[in-house]
Amino acid sequence: MSATSEISIRVDGATYRGRTIDLGTGLPATAVVSAIRGEDPDPWVEATCPRPAPVHDHVGHVAPSVPFSLRAALAAAARSRGETAPQRPALESARERLAELTPPEADLADARRRVATAGASESQLRERVATLRGRLQAVRDVGGDVDPVRTELQAAIEELTEVETERIAAEQALEMAERDARSVRDRREERLRLEDRVANLERDARRSLAASVYEEFAAATAVLPGAAAAGDAPGEFEGETLTAMLAVARVADVDAPIVVESGPFDSAAGAADALDAPVVRL
Amino acid sequence: MLLVVTYSRAARATLRNVCRSHEATVVRRFGRAALLEETELGAFLSLRLREKHGEDVQIERTSPLNEFEAVPDRVREAARAYERRDEPSTPYAKFAVGTDHPDPEALRERDL
Repeated sequence: MSATSEISIRVDGATYRGRTIDLGTGLPATAVVSAIRGEDPDPWVEATCPRPAPVHDHVGHVAPSVPFSLRAALAAAARSRGETAPQRPALESARERLAELTPPEADLADARRRVATAGASESQLRERVATLRGRLQAVRDVGGDVDPVRTELQAAIEELTEVETERIAAEQALEMAERDARSVRDRREERLRLEDRVANLERDARRSLAASVYEEFAAATAVLPGAAAAGDAPGEFEGETLTAMLAVARVADVDAPIVVESGPFDSAAGAADALDAPVVRL
Repeated sequence: MLLVVTYSRAARATLRNVCRSHEATVVRRFGRAALLEETELGAFLSLRLREKHGEDVQIERTSPLNEFEAVPDRVREAARAYERRDEPSTPYAKFAVGTDHPDPEALRERDL
C-alpha cells in the first residue's frame, strides 16, 4: 500500500495517480509499458513508479500479442518472491570461471598467407630457371653467345635459393603457430564446456523455480476467469496464454504497474484485485 | 574434405544451421564439428563461419588414409599383430619387446 502514492502516469499533460489507473483508450499500450520500464520512453508519456523487476518483462504487459514463455515467466515470478534455485551456487561458480577464461587470440591468417606467397613465388622461379636452362642449351646448340643467358640463369638460381629459404622459414613459423593454437584451442574447448554447463544450470534453475510456484499458479488459474487446465507442470498447461499470463502475475510479487491491455476485467481496480498488483488499464 | 570444428556455442549454432541448409555439401556431422565436401562451396561455407566467429572455428583439410601408400609395412604389421595378441591385457610397449615390431618411442618420433 505504501507504493500507492509513488505511482503516477502523465499523459500529454494530464497526470493519473494511484495503484489503479484507468487510462482512456487511444494510447498505445507499448508507450505506457516503455515509460514504466524506462526504456525508449515516448515524450508524451511519463511514468513514476517503482523500478520493474525482471518478472515485469513477462507479465507487465497483458495482451495476447506479447510473446510468452510459461516456464520462464514462472521462474521470474518465483524470483520476484525471493526464491532462489538450488543450482545457484553451482551456477555462480561456473559463471565466475567462465568470466576468468579468456583464451588469447591466435590469428594464424598472416602465417598461412606468408607460406602461400612464398610457395607461389618459389614455383614461379622454378619455372623461370627451367626456361632459362632450356634457352641456354638452345643458344649453345646454335653456337651463340651464352654469357647473357648464363648471367640471367645464375641470378634466377640465386633468387630461387632465397625464396626457398623464405618458404622453409614460413612453414616452420606456421607449424609453430599451429602448435600454439592447439593449446589455445584446449582453453576454448574448456570455455565451451563451461558455457554449456552454465546454460544447462540456467535451464535447470528455471525448471526448479517454475516448479516451486506451480501449485500456486494452478490455483490462480482456477480463481481467475478464463478456461484453463493447469496440470502438474508448465508443459501440461492447456488454455489461453492470456490466462496463464494473468495467473503468473497473480503469483508474482509485482511493484511496478501491470499494463492490462486485454483481459476479462472491466476496471483497473478489478484487475488489481485479481492480480494483487498495481494496474494501469487501457 | 574440409573438417570444420567449432569452439563456442554461437559458432556451433551457426554450423548447425549451415549443415541444415546445405545437406548436399555436408559429408558428415559430429556434434560441434562437420566434414564438408572439398568444393568451392565447402570452402565458402567454412570461411563464412570463420569470418563470423574468428578463431572459434578451426578448419582442416583432410583426406582418407591409404595405409598401403602412406604407412610403412612395419607399422601396419605391428598393428595387425598386436590386435591378434593372445593376452588382451598386454600393453603394446611390452608386446613389442623382443620382436621385430617398432617400440612406441620409435613410432612416436617418426613422421609419416
